Amino acid sequence: MGRTAVTLEINAQSCAFDLDNRTTLLDALREHLGLTGTKKGCDHGQCGACTVLVDGMRMNSCLLLAVALDGAQIITVEGLSSDAALHPVQQAFIDHDAFQCGYCTPGQICSAIGAITEAASGWPSAVTPQERPLGPVPLTAPEIRERMSGNLCRCGAYVNIVNAVTEAAEAVGEAAR
Amino acid sequence: MKTFRYERPADPAAAVTLVAGTPGARYLAGGTNLVDLMKLGVETPELLVDVSRLPFGEVEETDTGGLRIGAAVRGSRLAAHLLVRERYPALSQALLSGASAQLRNAATIGGNLLQRTRCLYFQDVSKPCNKRRPGSGCPAREGAHRDLAVLGASEHCIATNTSDLAVALAALDATVHLTGPAGVRSLPLTDLYRLPGDEPERDTVLRHGELITSVELPPPPHSARSRAPLMVYRKVRDRASYAFALVSVAAVLDVRDAAVHEVRLAFGGLAARPWRAREAEQALQGRPATEEAFVEAVRTELSACRPLRENGYKLALAERLAVAVLADLAGQG
Amino acid sequence: MGTQMRGTAAPGRTPTSLSRRSRTKGGIGESTLRPDGTLKVIGEFAYSSDLWHEDMLWGFTLRSPHPHARITSIDISKALAQAGVHAVLTHDDLPTAHTQYGLEYTDTPVLADGVVRHHGEPVALVAADHPETARRAAAKIKVDYEPLPVVHDEASALADDAPILHPNRDDHHAGHVPHPNIVHRQPIIRGNAAEAAKRADVIVTGEYEVGMQDQAFLGPESGLAVPAEDGGIDLYIATQWLHSDLRQIAPVLGLPEEKVRMTLSGVGGAFGGREDLSMQIHACLLALRTGKPVKIVYNRFESFFGHVHRHPAKLWYEHGATKDGKITHMKCRIVLDGGAYASSSPAVVGNASSLSVGPYVVDDVEIEALALYTNNPPCGAMRGFGAVQACFAYESQMDKLAEKLGMDPVEFRQKNAMSQGAIMPTGQIVDSPAPVAELLRLIKAMPLPPEKQWETARGAADVRALPGGLSNTTHGEGVVRGVGYAVGIKNVGFSEGFDDYSTARVQLQVIGGEPVATVHTAMAEVGQGGITVNAQIARTELGVTQVVIHPADTQVGSAGSTSASRQTYMTGGAVKNACEAIREKVLETGRRKFGTYHPAWATAELLLEDGKVVTDSDEPLADLVDVLGDEVIDIELQWRHRPTEAFDPVTGQGFGHVQYSFAAHRAVVEVDTELGLVKVIELACAQDVGKALNPLSVKGQIHGATVQGLGLAVMEEIIVAKDAKVCNPSFTDYLIPTILDTPAIPVEVLELADEHAPYGLRGIGEAPTLSSTPAVVAAIRAATGLPLVRVPVRPEHITGT
Repeated sequence: MGRTAVTLEINAQSCAFDLDNRTTLLDALREHLGLTGTKKGCDHGQCGACTVLVDGMRMNSCLLLAVALDGAQIITVEGLSSDAALHPVQQAFIDHDAFQCGYCTPGQICSAIGAITEAASGWPSAVTPQERPLGPVPLTAPEIRERMSGNLCRCGAYVNIVNAVTEAAEAVGEAAR
Repeated sequence: MKTFRYERPADPAAAVTLVAGTPGARYLAGGTNLVDLMKLGVETPELLVDVSRLPFGEVEETDTGGLRIGAAVRGSRLAAHLLVRERYPALSQALLSGASAQLRNAATIGGNLLQRTRCLYFQDVSKPCNKRRPGSGCPAREGAHRDLAVLGASEHCIATNTSDLAVALAALDATVHLTGPAGVRSLPLTDLYRLPGDEPERDTVLRHGELITSVELPPPPHSARSRAPLMVYRKVRDRASYAFALVSVAAVLDVRDAAVHEVRLAFGGLAARPWRAREAEQALQGRPATEEAFVEAVRTELSACRPLRENGYKLALAERLAVAVLADLAGQG
Repeated sequence: MGTQMRGTAAPGRTPTSLSRRSRTKGGIGESTLRPDGTLKVIGEFAYSSDLWHEDMLWGFTLRSPHPHARITSIDISKALAQAGVHAVLTHDDLPTAHTQYGLEYTDTPVLADGVVRHHGEPVALVAADHPETARRAAAKIKVDYEPLPVVHDEASALADDAPILHPNRDDHHAGHVPHPNIVHRQPIIRGNAAEAAKRADVIVTGEYEVGMQDQAFLGPESGLAVPAEDGGIDLYIATQWLHSDLRQIAPVLGLPEEKVRMTLSGVGGAFGGREDLSMQIHACLLALRTGKPVKIVYNRFESFFGHVHRHPAKLWYEHGATKDGKITHMKCRIVLDGGAYASSSPAVVGNASSLSVGPYVVDDVEIEALALYTNNPPCGAMRGFGAVQACFAYESQMDKLAEKLGMDPVEFRQKNAMSQGAIMPTGQIVDSPAPVAELLRLIKAMPLPPEKQWETARGAADVRALPGGLSNTTHGEGVVRGVGYAVGIKNVGFSEGFDDYSTARVQLQVIGGEPVATVHTAMAEVGQGGITVNAQIARTELGVTQVVIHPADTQVGSAGSTSASRQTYMTGGAVKNACEAIREKVLETGRRKFGTYHPAWATAELLLEDGKVVTDSDEPLADLVDVLGDEVIDIELQWRHRPTEAFDPVTGQGFGHVQYSFAAHRAVVEVDTELGLVKVIELACAQDVGKALNPLSVKGQIHGATVQGLGLAVMEEIIVAKDAKVCNPSFTDYLIPTILDTPAIPVEVLELADEHAPYGLRGIGEAPTLSSTPAVVAAIRAATGLPLVRVPVRPEHITGT
């Protein structure tokens, strides 16, 4: 009672746990696997610092119970870069100085990757014109601002984050072509 | 957080049986509201029954040309769905104006509808709250209530419903399909919610064990001249995104020969439930679609408002927002 | 990039050390990238909340639900009995008679001493093997409170029958405050305001209010205390000032300072909120009691109670001016709510009073600023530190005066702007560039964003670009544009006679055939980019490419606080100073080894560049590698800015500040007046930075300060109800700007050297926080015609409903 066996695929590795049901994905990553790259900023889905990719979709890991994710594929900030190179979004954040204290950065980066995927899939945002034809949504600055608004940055590096995501979206788009 | 058991039954019947048989059981879907409240100590379920993988994940056209939306569909997926964008744009707008992309990716339609009403005191377990601890009092009336209800509140509770989705669905005449220990039943969405009265701890009319399986929309209304559905959702808030509504409006308007042929209007942010403005609708039916008529009708509806010290501004906001939305829709038609 | 770097266009000598550009790569003036950048983007940078130790326990703090109450009894037995609990501590368990701490006054109980004075005050501590266990055990501690009357504003604090919150004050201001519930009061009298007022053709008064702002750093308070075999403790912590923490921690623990060894861990933002202690002593107490490592991490709710906030303020101002636009006099009264404990309130009062005139020449002033003790949450340091509140008020007054005189608000400001040589209300002469009029000119000359930016090419409205985005009710016809200007003045470094210094230890040696400098300071890198700049300074001064930044800890002397815009000036200055001493040693060694080979060793001015000793005419004399051999040059030195002096307690006169920093903003907003929605289209900033050691970092600081000022203007406020309880301790209810709220922020930078400062630099981190807020509000006023005397401005203030 109160515990459940769970298997998650985290950064392409299968991880089996016996978890207290109360454990969030965020705590499973940080406390059980030592993957502390994913940050706890508010623990209530209000800041975005804990954003990870769950089956390719960006979500707040602080509000997901790990037991409910059995079998899911999780990508965290630690799983983005290879030995050889940083992910284009990571590189763009460095190049554009898109952070200061860096605490929100892993969440920003995972969120940006999710946003780029969503836009490429033609998912609208609140600022996408309704009359827009279906198909990929170009990530203009207003689109990036709306789509990234679930990630707070108290250092206020937002201007540089817009630039970083703009550049990264192009890089990812080119790589996909 | 209190410890709890977790079950993920394979079919809806088993899920219903599990919850119905355990007084402290709750359904779990996206969890974005429930887990939040569990962390705060506001919700203390002893059993969570995971329904996120039950076969309620489809969006399909109904025989009558409406839409049936599975309760486990995620908000972002529904907002992006082609049929929704084409035929019910207000629904897509409402979804996309709520929360953040991350939360919309996790939260389900059923869970969104069942999010608890909100109040600064409800979520702070160190303070009294009738909704959380019946009889303990309502400090919000004297305290911070700038964002709280002006319609349909009671002396026991002035919390507000914060679902953008529910406001849009209210204006779209949605029906909620339920399954439960006593079988299936259906309710108009507006009847799903209740006002606090002297039982502020109950947000909805659901009986213990009842589960939302889908939401059904009637065919979209169209104006006589165009196929474009005349509907809109608009939201006023303190921050341009990632914030709850101070006031929101969902409206459907069909004007024919300069007169109101069909109108449906719902407010968010004003009450413990999405507020379908039936008095205003009635007042407008068949009347000339003029701004004066809209003002008069909306005022009739809002005359029931009982604002407190800090939330009276909502009346003017609601009136201006609703009139502008209606005038806008009338102009487009 | 929108940044333009400008040369010296106005007075101000360039120090000789600047006359020659260094050729060493990655030196000062370059936009080098952060040395910790890669770690931060791959998730490997260890913040204080990421620390872990084998066998570690988790600490939790039980806090008071009452703002003012007597504790009649505490029963910890049920908590202690819970499985997994290792210790429960209350005030009675404190090991020494030193049971209080504080930045300026030692008035803050480590754990409540029979009385709680604010909502959220720490009462008891629990250590357990799991955070949830600790939390639940804390809930089982039974505390009986007897509520006491609450002091929540000036009237209740100074009433005849007001409860005295700190009856036995022995602080250095206790003797001259008019009431024991006043933490500190600083009058400033210069000239004769009453007499000067007679010359005024117009007189303008105003009452303004600033809400309580939170630093809201994203990484909550956290740290790990590890008991050591010698009976001491190792503390890994996110703070702004290691040695100030140390000074406050050690006596409470009953340990000599050398047995409390502190190391800075990753800091998730600070903005003033980590200048006071939070969980430091608590974690140490639990670790010493249990003999096990103890980690404490606040959650967001707790973080809102765990640090001081920006002082909410009420400000009354009177200005007079002649018809031709010269300010005749200024009177003001600034009341800051300091909350339950002093924190840095005295220094905030000093800033609020001494900077209350703003960057203007006003010879006749009558100023009073004070901070109250109340039962509201304690307030202290936040970016802008007392100058933010004053700037909102005096800039509002400037617009009011200009309007009354029928003058352009920028022209009016320029007419009264201070410049080098001006006299502050404190009598201090501003002895470095003060290009206030020039900053205003720059900001005004920048091209405005296109009118009706929401209009599409076809002439229709793109509602998404309107205030509130899709929530807008109009198609642009109800949207009004407004433009507002503001300029501010901030002091840099610690003031009022404080012995402000920093320490740097620099080593130079050959490693792997290359000269490598190691820079060791106790400076807290909190995101400001201090370590980036320290490395640049070492490269420039020592001519090396490889610089190792040693982790900040208390094994080296104090660096002072990462606050007051002071670290580049102070720790940068200390690093420069230590490097210069190292250079002398290198040259000494060089002369000894190679002096006979070339006469220039004896006669020329020698520099270190590009790994070589070179003459001032660029002739290389020797490779550093050869000069050093296997010698390690290792020097630790303190460095001070020039001394300041205390303000006179009656007249407020004195050479109080070491340097001033100036920034100006122009805000362009669009307002939907029907719905009270504001969209800030652009927030342009011009700032004099003296010398941009790292232009990229300078721009980042300006962006960040601007966004925080925007937050205060339109959304940020901790709501404290009349019962002194905090109502909105969450990021859903305390809103901070998102990326969507953040407009374009074009930046213009002036570089007018301050000859007293290293490289002529000026502290930059705070000034733009000041002017951002009043500029936005001025723009909203311009759009709406409303007086708007309180921030944050909310929709209902604009709709007037």
